[in-house]
Amino acid sequence: MSKIHIIPSEFNKELELQLAYSIKAGFPSPAEDYQHDTLDFNRDLIKHPEATFYGRVDGDSMIEAGINDGDIAIIDRSVEASDGDVIVAFVNNEFTIKYLDLSHKSEGYIELRPANKKYHPIKINDSDEFEVWGVVVWTIRNWKK
Amino acid sequence: MYGIIDCDNCYVSCERVFRPDLNGKPVVVLSNNDGCIVARSNEAKKLGIKAGLPYFKLQEQFPDQKIAVFSSNYELYGELTGRVVDIIRQEAPQYFRYSIDECFVYLDGMEHIDLKQWGENLHNRIKKSVGVPVSVGLAPNKTLAKVASHFAKKYSGYRHCCLIDSEEKRIKALKLFPVEDVWGIGRRYAAKLESMGIHTAFEFATMPKGIVNAKFNNVVIYRTWAELNGIDCVPNEAMAKKKSICTSRSFNGMISDLDALKVHVSNYASRCAEKLRQQNTVASIVGVFLNTNFFREDLPQYWQFKEVNLPTASNSSITIVHAANEILADIYKPGYKYKKAGVIVMGIAATSPIQLNLFDINAERFEKLKALDKVIDRINKVNGTETVILAAQQYRHKNEQGKADVFANAIKHDFRSKNPTTRWSDIIRLK
Repeated sequence: MSKIHIIPSEFNKELELQLAYSIKAGFPSPAEDYQHDTLDFNRDLIKHPEATFYGRVDGDSMIEAGINDGDIAIIDRSVEASDGDVIVAFVNNEFTIKYLDLSHKSEGYIELRPANKKYHPIKINDSDEFEVWGVVVWTIRNWKK
Repeated sequence: MYGIIDCDNCYVSCERVFRPDLNGKPVVVLSNNDGCIVARSNEAKKLGIKAGLPYFKLQEQFPDQKIAVFSSNYELYGELTGRVVDIIRQEAPQYFRYSIDECFVYLDGMEHIDLKQWGENLHNRIKKSVGVPVSVGLAPNKTLAKVASHFAKKYSGYRHCCLIDSEEKRIKALKLFPVEDVWGIGRRYAAKLESMGIHTAFEFATMPKGIVNAKFNNVVIYRTWAELNGIDCVPNEAMAKKKSICTSRSFNGMISDLDALKVHVSNYASRCAEKLRQQNTVASIVGVFLNTNFFREDLPQYWQFKEVNLPTASNSSITIVHAANEILADIYKPGYKYKKAGVIVMGIAATSPIQLNLFDINAERFEKLKALDKVIDRINKVNGTETVILAAQQYRHKNEQGKADVFANAIKHDFRSKNPTTRWSDIIRLK
């Protein structure tokens, strides 16, 4: 006599269908072989989501770099800042967006350089407590109001 | 090998991510409704500020100190700690989140790498990416990992990671560790151990097994004892899903009126139901407690708790809110000024194989409630929490626009920070 095995069922998990193309009788769509993921800013612009923060530019200190008042900056905290990067730093009790200038490092200071002749660079000495908060990897501007 | 990763002074550290000026300064975070202190920076601890201190006493006791005070902002803490867990998930083969600021990892198959270095690197990555410092405790079981994590936090020499991987290290650590701080030893058992002359974790671990069982006859205590001796026996699934969910809050001021209490209790009950649905579970027991202000010795005091069994385990807001309100009406006594109430749901089980009670077989109603909750959850997820709420969750009095005031407006949070990670209106300003 053959035995019956009772297989316990799993009720706790829900399964989602990943890709369910419409089921048709007849010929399959010729495009199905060419399926490719849609371009996705979240995936392609943001390499480290757990380290990515957003900021809104307030003022014109970076205007000659093409960064305008009201732009959204995408800030990645996980990447190492190098000379010439646009960075976000916390200076004088506010967040500031500037170029990082490391060319005077051997002389004992670095500079946060604005891209606007109206403003002076911020000089930071070795002894000052200073930390780059994050590196700006993209800025976004809305054109269609 | 197990690891426990927890955020140092979690809420304070989250606030500091967007307030770097507060690094190195005393900071405290208050409980819901700004009642008492729930989180302190190391600097605040050094000043002698105790956890649980009522806020009004802070100003009395430390009038000359400059202390940064925040209302709790769980939207922010939840988002930032979620990022921490995302990084842990990338670095560890298995993990289980234990609470908002603690995450266990199971590191089987990683014996060949330098685990101490792994832990230090994990701290560095989380600190740089998210901005929140964590401590890593590594040991052959979860109880010892918790011990290790205390050492990682306490002594900077460990560089945020302490590894207990030898008999020598285990014994040394336990000799320095107060028994009351051992994971799984509650205050009550700690007092009992103290009365028996047991002060350190080592003294407890070296008690004979027979005496531990005879004196306590408690499986949790026994497991804790065994784990301190190096055995891995606290079950992992026990932490996967919570056995009970409690939502409680101190009121902003005191409340005597039953209708006003109902609004609060309805909200707590609704929150419990939401949490049940989030983890795909149902509860079979609903409990409500209510108490007066214990700090006001000049006022008459009253405390009561009662629970009921639901005919059918449920996670429906309507069912749980209804049950909670019936209990409230039962335990409520007029003439007292109430300070706090809470709803606890227990008997939690997975959603799918619900045991329908023979006397409660209104399957149609059951399905309808389920569909309704699904729609409500969806709307509230897309449009923001509390877009759709039960009428019982609303205050009856009208606001300026003539609409009934929602419950959220009745919570006090005078010092709440912004939400730069969850609201576009709050993202940081870059000068």
